[in-house]
Amino acid sequence: MQQRFVKITGLALSAIYAAAIIWLYATEPRSFKEVATGAQVATGTYQVDQEKFNAALTLFRREQFRAARDEWQRADPAQGDPRTQFYIAYSFYREGWGRVYYDQALFKQGLEAVNRAIALSPGTLTIADENLQMHTAAELKAELEQGTEQNWGDLNPLKVLRTRK
Amino acid sequence: MSEKLVVANNRLKNQTLVTYVVLPFTFLTVSLLGGLRVSGDDHSFMFLPPGLVTLVLAVLLLLLFVRGGLIETRSLIASANPPLTNVAHVWLLLTLFFASAQAFNSVLPERGLLHWMFSFFFLWTLWNNQFSSFDARRLLRSLIVLFGTAFLLKHLLLASLYSTDGGWLKSLTSTLVSSLTLGALDTPHFAPSTGYISFFTLGLYLIALILIGVTQNNTLSTDISDFTDQSKESSVSKRG
Repeated sequence: MQQRFVKITGLALSAIYAAAIIWLYATEPRSFKEVATGAQVATGTYQVDQEKFNAALTLFRREQFRAARDEWQRADPAQGDPRTQFYIAYSFYREGWGRVYYDQALFKQGLEAVNRAIALSPGTLTIADENLQMHTAAELKAELEQGTEQNWGDLNPLKVLRTRK
Repeated sequence: MSEKLVVANNRLKNQTLVTYVVLPFTFLTVSLLGGLRVSGDDHSFMFLPPGLVTLVLAVLLLLLFVRGGLIETRSLIASANPPLTNVAHVWLLLTLFFASAQAFNSVLPERGLLHWMFSFFFLWTLWNNQFSSFDARRLLRSLIVLFGTAFLLKHLLLASLYSTDGGWLKSLTSTLVSSLTLGALDTPHFAPSTGYISFFTLGLYLIALILIGVTQNNTLSTDISDFTDQSKESSVSKRG
């Protein structure tokens, strides 16, 4: 009976350990901090650092987009919060937007961030922020996609009259 | 008589603990650490899964374990054993397989011509050993030498040759070797802790193999354990 217990315990614990190893190799954390964050995400206890998020939002409203993104990335190191990812995408959009042309590299990064936000959100992602003109991830994605596409309409001189959202 | 029974029972308990708890955990730890590298630039972790060649090497090594008598497959997995025992033994062999693959992964250079040279060296040695007469003790000694040599070559010789810190002579030699071989001998630069991790990993792996050898001498058979358990219970009831 005792041997049976040892066998079952050994099998169960080593199976959990093996699953943890597979998870480590699949997620490839780069530091112990990332391991801890990944474990929090896996166990559903992950939370965004609200203080850093608010600091980033202040920077975003002051149009300091790079600093804001940096702060948001620190607030959400696991890139697991749809709201933060939406704001990161929005900061890429605002920084990359130009009256004459759009910065393709920034728009592409924005597209990646908004896709992450959509993937993380269970339903339609809507952000109720009166300082933004686009409130859903779908709107932002469409805007970023239009910015990365190139067509004859880009040559229209009236495009300089468009406004940033 | 009862003292002998107590000793036998304790031995059996320890063997059970080693076979079903210590060994799988040790092999899994080897599987975890065997692919772990620490970047020389920013000291970040890099997890390298076992390559196809390491899996082939692990298969050859497992065959060698069976041939050398380190693993008695007939007693480990048998129709006479209870299903739980068979499942636990299959799990043990599975962890041993991945630990072997990761032990090779730990001592193989990551890319380039050296990776293939080391792989060929391992393949050749293991293939030749398939046709030699081996016992468990000789096999273990041979493995210690094999892994030890590969460890010294990779983590001392090559790491020292390609390390960024060092004098101008070292820099000149590494640049000369790299230029003459058109980069074919280049290896990624890792932090010194990678060597320590590899040393610890190989040490654990070899200790676990020695433990297998020790427990294998007294092959676990559930029939015997059941018999001992029953004998102990009857002796206790007699005493009572």
